Amino acid sequence: MEKVILRVRNLKTYFFTRRGTVKAVDGVDFDLLRSECLCLVGESGCGKTVTALSILGLIDTPPGRIVDGEVYHNDVNLLESSREQVRHIRGKEIAMVFQDAQSALNPIFTIGDQIAEQIKLHLGYNNRQARERVLSLLEEVGIPSPAEVTGYYPHQLSGGMKQRAIIAMSLSCDPQVLIADEPTTAVDVTIKAQILDVFQRLKETRQMSLLFITHELGVVSEIGDRMVVMYAGRLAETATVTELLNNPKHPYTVGLINCLPDMTQGKDRLESIPGTVPNLIDAPDGCLFHPRCDKALAICSQEGPPSVVVNGEHIVFCHLYSH
Amino acid sequence: MTNRLKSIARIARKVGGIRKLILILLAAFLSVTLLLDILVVEKIFDPLVYLYTVLGTLVVLYGIYPLYTGRRLVSYYWERVRKNKLAVAGLAFILFLILLALIGPFFTADPTTVNFEEKNMPPLGFTIEESVYRPETQQIITKTITGTEKHPLGTDNKGRDLLAMIVSGARISLQVGLLATGIAVALGTLIGVTSAYLGGQIDNILMRFTDIMMTFPFFLLLVLIVFVFGPNLAFIVLVIGLTGWTGTARLVRSEALSLRTREFIMASKALGASDSRIILAHLIPNVISLIIVIATLSIPGVILAEAGLSFIGLGDPSVTSWGMVLRAGQQNLDTAWWVAVAPGIMLFLTVLAFNFMGDGLRDAFDPRSAV
Repeated sequence: MEKVILRVRNLKTYFFTRRGTVKAVDGVDFDLLRSECLCLVGESGCGKTVTALSILGLIDTPPGRIVDGEVYHNDVNLLESSREQVRHIRGKEIAMVFQDAQSALNPIFTIGDQIAEQIKLHLGYNNRQARERVLSLLEEVGIPSPAEVTGYYPHQLSGGMKQRAIIAMSLSCDPQVLIADEPTTAVDVTIKAQILDVFQRLKETRQMSLLFITHELGVVSEIGDRMVVMYAGRLAETATVTELLNNPKHPYTVGLINCLPDMTQGKDRLESIPGTVPNLIDAPDGCLFHPRCDKALAICSQEGPPSVVVNGEHIVFCHLYSH
Repeated sequence: MTNRLKSIARIARKVGGIRKLILILLAAFLSVTLLLDILVVEKIFDPLVYLYTVLGTLVVLYGIYPLYTGRRLVSYYWERVRKNKLAVAGLAFILFLILLALIGPFFTADPTTVNFEEKNMPPLGFTIEESVYRPETQQIITKTITGTEKHPLGTDNKGRDLLAMIVSGARISLQVGLLATGIAVALGTLIGVTSAYLGGQIDNILMRFTDIMMTFPFFLLLVLIVFVFGPNLAFIVLVIGLTGWTGTARLVRSEALSLRTREFIMASKALGASDSRIILAHLIPNVISLIIVIATLSIPGVILAEAGLSFIGLGDPSVTSWGMVLRAGQQNLDTAWWVAVAPGIMLFLTVLAFNFMGDGLRDAFDPRSAV
């Protein structure tokens, strides 16, 4: 059995707006291995969510379009498959968990009905079978008294419970790949730990592959095996989580790590990366990060960065290491 | 028996649900009878029967059944509606009207029976004096006529029983109101939601088509249809229904536009739902409260339109509708005022009842209004 379950190559998703072309995702490569958790990390607006939506073909056209690239799932290029084919892969092979559990649930159906819908649709279960499956799924994600919860409407559940229900829904057809788009951003800290626990457990018991999108390095260190750092639609650095957190090379990664509060040093102010993500309509030439980079060289504003192998799987896209 | 039920369930699952199976069977049945109707000269069904069957099935599958499965939501909204006394009064009057239309005809006389012996009788409890010319004595004598229990609402100038005519009119008005509104709202919802969900060029085409339909002189079309095909109630219902969907389409579209961008639509797409499934199973149920309000508030307009048509003499002459009685009555207002007043009051109360109920429902469904 092949180790790579999802192979993304040179993915380019552009949005064609009246004011110009936004290269939201511009040449992203990564491999998701079987039963690993790959974290996609970056600031807001760096193209993490667009990458995830592109994989499932959920980009609204117009204005967006996937202009180039390949997404292989078990040797099938999803970007060249028909709409119908992709539709059957969604939910059944690759499922997605959205950030805001409140709005990702249909407000007028009970939790049980919503989860059962997917099961009946993809697996062809009858009502009784579907109900049993819903109960076992809710139990799996740690919802107490699942039988009662199936009869609840979304507004009757707390944020954490809703997020669990969403996870249960996405698990309903035993997908091999689960894409989680900032599932812990909209819940509070205690719930966040519980939700991460759920993912951790799923990864172990189901041997599932997780593509975990987040902007929090704390979450990454908790759950991730490998991580990909994105900046302005391009790759910045990729490595295993331990390697990257201990030995960051790209100035952007270094900046991200420095932004974390450090309890041992007792500084007054948190550090931050100066500036903001560039406007992608008229993006700077060369490396997109150079206007904010304190180590920028002359070449950085002229040429895009090369990929440099630091060691083994650790790859950085930066001129600083090209010699 | 259980085996048979199981095999039905299996077939239903293959075509995608019991509802779809019922719809397919209905479509097959109707197309067979329709073909027979066209090929064999003898009519099997009146056109109205088709409308009833189709709309009745749709109402049961997409109205009554969801109401039953969503009993808790329904009881929640009922609690809110109940606080609005006018809405409850309106609902009570509508239920009374439905009852009147359903079982009234079994207790009243035939509204078309003419009896000149008993013409122009006043309602029960009223007495009028009528001057009658007696040819044999060549005298004008004054006769006193008192209302009797046989004709509680009196009779018109041909001796037809007014109560029977009102009951018959209730039936016609409700038929026209419910059927035409049903067609209009179903069409408008489908067009509005599809337009909003698919967007782009399709949205553009559908909405420009709506614009054209809005400018279309519907009354002229009605007159034309009546002129070409003769005044048949089914055609009148169809024309009102097929031209009256534009407002619904616009309102539903604007509501669905904001729903479309909600994350749960994206989520169900990400879990493999098809476009038609998202439209039918996620978008339409979310606009259903809007649809109910639109439907309730547009029924009186349709009833008035039919009454207006009958009033100017373009209604179906084979049925007794309120508009027609009104027309007959206004010619004899000086001798028999009750003939025009009775259908007038009924129209007034019906329109008022639907409007009150529509307002009440709108307030109940609106989460911003504190009832």
